[in-house]
Amino acid sequence: MDAYKLMKELRVNYEQEVFYLPKETGLSLIESTTQDDSRISAKCRDAKVEDLWSLTSFFGYSTQTFVLAVNLLDRFLAMMRIQPKHLSCVSLSCLHMAAKVTEEECNLTPTDELIRIGQCRFTVSDLARMEKIVAEKLNFKSKAVTALTFLHLYHRIALSHSTDRKETLNLEKLEAQLKACLCRISFSKAKPSVLALSLLRQEIEAVQSEDMLEIAYHIQRHLKIADAELLLWSGRVAQCLSDYASPECSKPNHRKLQWIVSRRTAQNLHSYRSVPELPTIPEGGWDESESEDSCEDVMSSGEESLSSSLGSDAEGPFFPLHFRRQKHRQHLLHA
Amino acid sequence: METTKLPPSSPSSPTTSFSVPSAEKVDGFPRRSMRRARQRRSHSSSQFRYQSSQVELTPLPLLKDAPVAELHDLFCKKLQQCCVLFDFLDCVADLKGKEIKRAALNELVESVATSRGVLIEPLYPEAIKMISVNIFRTLPPSENPEFDPEEDEPTLEASWPHLQLVYEFFLRFLESPDFQPSMAKRYVDQKFVLQLLELFDSEDPREREYLKTILHRVYGKLLGLRAYIRKQINNIFLRFIYETEHFNGVAELLEILGSIINGFALPLKAEHKQFLVRVLIPLHTAKSLSIFHAQLAYCVVQFMEKDATVTEYIIRGLLKYWPKTCTQKEVMFLGEIEEILDVIEPSQFIRVQEPLFKQIAACISSPHFQVAERALYFWNNEYILSLIEENCQVILPLVFATLYRVSKEHWNQTIVSLIYNVLKTFMEMNSKLFDDLTASYKVEKQKELKRERERAELWRGLEEHQERRMQMLTEAARNQRNLQERGERGDPPTPSSPQTAHSDQPEPKPSGASSGAGESAT
Repeated sequence: MDAYKLMKELRVNYEQEVFYLPKETGLSLIESTTQDDSRISAKCRDAKVEDLWSLTSFFGYSTQTFVLAVNLLDRFLAMMRIQPKHLSCVSLSCLHMAAKVTEEECNLTPTDELIRIGQCRFTVSDLARMEKIVAEKLNFKSKAVTALTFLHLYHRIALSHSTDRKETLNLEKLEAQLKACLCRISFSKAKPSVLALSLLRQEIEAVQSEDMLEIAYHIQRHLKIADAELLLWSGRVAQCLSDYASPECSKPNHRKLQWIVSRRTAQNLHSYRSVPELPTIPEGGWDESESEDSCEDVMSSGEESLSSSLGSDAEGPFFPLHFRRQKHRQHLLHA
Repeated sequence: METTKLPPSSPSSPTTSFSVPSAEKVDGFPRRSMRRARQRRSHSSSQFRYQSSQVELTPLPLLKDAPVAELHDLFCKKLQQCCVLFDFLDCVADLKGKEIKRAALNELVESVATSRGVLIEPLYPEAIKMISVNIFRTLPPSENPEFDPEEDEPTLEASWPHLQLVYEFFLRFLESPDFQPSMAKRYVDQKFVLQLLELFDSEDPREREYLKTILHRVYGKLLGLRAYIRKQINNIFLRFIYETEHFNGVAELLEILGSIINGFALPLKAEHKQFLVRVLIPLHTAKSLSIFHAQLAYCVVQFMEKDATVTEYIIRGLLKYWPKTCTQKEVMFLGEIEEILDVIEPSQFIRVQEPLFKQIAACISSPHFQVAERALYFWNNEYILSLIEENCQVILPLVFATLYRVSKEHWNQTIVSLIYNVLKTFMEMNSKLFDDLTASYKVEKQKELKRERERAELWRGLEEHQERRMQMLTEAARNQRNLQERGERGDPPTPSSPQTAHSDQPEPKPSGASSGAGESAT
C-alpha cells in the first residue's frame, strides 16, 4: 500500500477512535476508589487485565484479541458500576467476545474450558448472559479502533518510508510493550493514536534512527497531535516501560491460584514428613578409641522406657563439661 | 519317597510344593492366583533343628517370693531353663514345658524392668547366652520365593510367643539403670553384633521392630562397637545393592542410621561422606525402593542439614540414577527432590539448578500424569518458588518450551490447569523475560514449520523424480526389444528418420528433474 493510502487510512481511524474511548469520568472514578468490596478499584481492574493477558497467552490468542478485550472491558466498566465479585465474569465475556471477532472459528477455546482454566465459579450460561449484557451496553460496537490499530498502521508507514532496510522496528516488541501499558488503567485514558505514537517514539529513540524520527514527526503533524499531549504520554509510557524492563523478579501472588491434583498424588504428598521415632545418638570425638570407659556412665540411660529419649538434640547439658574439654583436646590431636 | 527319621512334627521341606499344571501358566510363569493359593500357611518355624524336648522343665519358685540371698541364683537357674527350645509348629507338643518357659521369661522381664540391683556381673554371661541361644538361628529361605513385600503377607515366626519375650528381656536388660556397658562389652562383642545384624533379614516385621530398637541401644551404649556396626551395615547394603537385591531389614537399618546421622559431629568425617556417596545414593537404584524410601529420604535430608556441601553430590547422584522406565519410582524421586529443596541453601541451589530443572522439564512432559503432576506441584511450594524467583533468568528458559508444548498436547485436564498456574506464576515474576521467551518460541515454531514444509517438498520432488525415471527405463526397455525383434526378423535396417529416431531414443532429459538422469540410468 502506498504511503498516500496509508495516511488516508490513518486519518479515517483517527476520526473513528473517539467513538471507542471509555468514558473518562468513569475511569477516574475507578482510579480514585480505594480497596472496597462494593466498587471496582484500579488495582482490581489491573489484576484482572493481567489475568486476561495470561489467558490470551495460554490459549494462543493474538495481541489483537487482548487489546480489543481490554477496550471492551474498560468501556463497560467506565459506564456501569459493578461489584468486584462479578468482575471475572465481565472480563471473561469481554475476552470471549473479542476472540469471536478476531480469531478463527477453529481456534476459539470453548467457554467451559475458559472458565475451568480461569478458575472461575460461574457457569457457561452465566457467561453467555453476561456477553449479551456487555454487547447491549456497548451498542454492539465490537470492532473497535484501538492503539494496536494505530501501531500496525504506523509500522507499515515506517516500513514504506524507510530507505535503510536494517533499521526496522520490531512489531512484536511494540505489541508486548503496548500490552504492558494496557495493564495499567491510567493508559486507557489516553487516545489510542497518541499512546501508539508515544510507544513508537520510545522505540525509535532506543534504536536511534533519524529517519524514523522524521516519520514520527510527519505522522504527528498529519494527525495534528499537540506536542504537550504527546510529551505527557511519552513520559508516562517511558516510566511504565522502565518498570516492565527491569530485570528484578517480583514475588508472584500464588495464593490466589488453585492447585488441584489428582487423589493419588495428593495422598502421596505428605507421606514423608514423618517424625523419626528413634532418638538421636550423638557422635562423640572419643568414639572408637579406648577412652569409652570414662564416659559410659554418662551414656547409660536413666529411668527410661522404650520411647523416651537419649537426648534428642545433642544440645544442652547432656555432655558434662569435662567431656567437652576432652573432645576439644582430641580434636586438637587430630588436627 | 523315603523320609528320614525325623520326629513327626518336623517342618516340611520347602521343595515338596506341588507342581503347577501348564494350563495355569501364562508365558511360562504360574498365575498370580496360583501363587497365592500356595501360601496356605502363614507361620513357619525358623528352627530347622531344635533340641528334642527330652529335657523336662520343672517349675521353679517365683522370683518375687525368693529371699534376697537366693535371688541371683534363682535368676540364673531360670535363665538356664529358658535356654531350652521348643517346637511351635506342632501346636500340641510340650504344652507344659512351653508354659513354664513362657512364665519364666515373663518373670525375668518383669524383674529386670522393675527391680534394682538384679544385674550383677555373673548374670551377664548367662543372660547373653540365653538370648543368643534363642534368637540366633539360620533364617530359612522364604516360603514364597516371589515374596512381594508390598502385596504379600509376610511369613511370621511361629515361635513368637517365646521369642517376643526374649527380645523384650534383651531390651529391658539394655535399658536397665544397672546396665554396665563395660561389663556387657565382653559378651556383646563383634561376633554377637554380626549375628544380630543378620537377623534383620527376618520376614517377621515384629522381630525387625525389636531388633531395630535393640541395635539402636547397643550402638548408643557400646561405643567400641560403633565403627564395626557401621562397617557391617555398609556391607549389608552393598551386598543388597550389587549382589542379592534381597534383604528385608533395609528400612529398619536406615531408621537407625537416621538417628546416627542426626547426631554426627561437625565437621563431617570423610568416612561419613563416603558412606553417603557410595552407599546411600546407590541404594536409590534398588527395585524395592518403595519399602524403605521414606527412611532413605530422611537420611539424605539429614546429611544435607548437617553439611550443605554434600548437596551437589546428592542431587547429581539422584539425577544420575533417575528412573527411566519405572514411573512409580520417578514419583518417589520427585518427592525426595522436593524435600531436599525444602532445606537447600540458595548458594548450593545455584550450582545444581540447570541439570535439575532440565530433569524437571522432562518429568513435566511425561505422559504419566502422576509424574507430571508431582513435578508441576513444586511451584506450589513457597520456598522453592522463592529460589526460582531469584534465579528466574536461568530457570524459565529451561522449562518454558516444555510448558507451552505440553499445555497444547497433554491428554490430562488437571495437568493443563496446573501448567496454566505455572505459566501464570512465571508471568507475574518477570513479564519481560516471559514475553521475550514467548516471542522467540513463536519464531522457533515458525522455523520448524518452514523446515517441515521444505522437507515435505523435498520428498515430493524425489518421488516425482523416481516416477519419471521408472517411466524412462520401461520405455528404453521397450525400444530395445523392438530393435531386437526387427533384427531377428531380418528387416532391413531402416534409415532412422529423424522423427522415429527421436521417438526410439529415451528422452534425454526429463523435464524439470535435476541433471544426472543419464548417470542414474546406468
